[in-house]
Amino acid sequence: MTYLLSPLDIAFYGILVSAISFLIIFFMTPYLIKYLNKKGRVVVDYHKPGKPNVPRPAGPVLLIGIVISEILLYFLILDVKIISVLLTTIIAFIVGYIDDMKTMPGWFKPAALILAAVPIIIIGSHGNYLGLIFDNAFIPILYILLILFIIPIVGNTINSIDVFNGVATGFIIITMIPLLVSVTVFGNTNVLLMGLPLLFGSIALYQYHKFPSKIFLGDSGTLLLGSMYASLSIVGNSEIIGLIALLPAVMNSFLFLSSVKKIVEHREVKTRPVTICSDFRLVASKDKSAPATLVRLILAKGPLSEQEIIVRIFILAIFSSILAFISIAIQYSFMMGKISL
Amino acid sequence: MRLFGLFMLIFIMWIMILVVSYFLIFIIGPLHINVFYNSTDRLISSIIKASLAIGLVVVLILLLGTLKTKYLQKTLKRN
Repeated sequence: MTYLLSPLDIAFYGILVSAISFLIIFFMTPYLIKYLNKKGRVVVDYHKPGKPNVPRPAGPVLLIGIVISEILLYFLILDVKIISVLLTTIIAFIVGYIDDMKTMPGWFKPAALILAAVPIIIIGSHGNYLGLIFDNAFIPILYILLILFIIPIVGNTINSIDVFNGVATGFIIITMIPLLVSVTVFGNTNVLLMGLPLLFGSIALYQYHKFPSKIFLGDSGTLLLGSMYASLSIVGNSEIIGLIALLPAVMNSFLFLSSVKKIVEHREVKTRPVTICSDFRLVASKDKSAPATLVRLILAKGPLSEQEIIVRIFILAIFSSILAFISIAIQYSFMMGKISL
Repeated sequence: MRLFGLFMLIFIMWIMILVVSYFLIFIIGPLHINVFYNSTDRLISSIIKASLAIGLVVVLILLLGTLKTKYLQKTLKRN
């Protein structure tokens, strides 16, 4: 059962769930940082002078903020899609948390993330149509198979771009904007409300994750971000728009996969794609066997500092988000019959 | 401009997605394949359409692979 919401309800619920998610994550993260430091759950940040220890993972605090906001939203609007998005997010978090605690083989994350796609299929929160810019394609059976691929791919895509301070959270903040516009236009306002806790939770966490990071997300954080982004694009009929906004990250994981030729953990790669100079600037490896990654492509024209690379990744995310907005405009024009071929 | 090459790479990827979407909607979607001239035709037609769609996506991925290899080799050689 779902209620039709008035614009005033949408605004009020939107502000409420955004504020709850933001405030919980913003005020709980310092406590988590203290706790993780006390327990010695830290990793070395190799890109900085003195190689400081940074606590990890931030996934649990992100999960708490999002789960509380989404449960509240469920009681306000009673949309079962919230449950499927929430279950997908929780399963992805658990998969990532296992990897945070114990280093698993490269195949573990993509394989285990297939499980995260199951709640969307079982609850039936997906549609039977895939929005392909010019029209919708009716593919009821193929679409289910597609969902089983989308969640692991997007989860791992966000995981693979989290190589520098604040990149994963910053990237999600930028790319969530076209996605939320798209789910409002092609899905419904309930999906917009479901996405707000992720956007505002990411904004809150970015304050601690940005350069110089006070906490790292860990796999639990990145898989949670990626899987929730993917599930929102599925229940909001915005899969292709979501993919276009993510193009730099998709390119990164695709480049990595196509050069390494198999699914491996980054730690298992013998030839590093980039190396650190004595002044802590990064330089692209000239070794042909080194994996091609987005960062290696950015550095192909010469060395850069960590901060300079982060800015460039965000510029690319803004560029792909602009392309996503253009795609929304094209799809909307075709949908309304303003353009036809 | 340092990022111009990457902007172009992302732009080409976007154009490729649009082209594949166009083919799926306007070429593969309306295809009607009659083999036995009975009800099994719909199933066969769907399987062929799905295979063509998957094939098209594979071609897209291979093209992107070639594109990035050429870009990376060219840029690294130049610098």
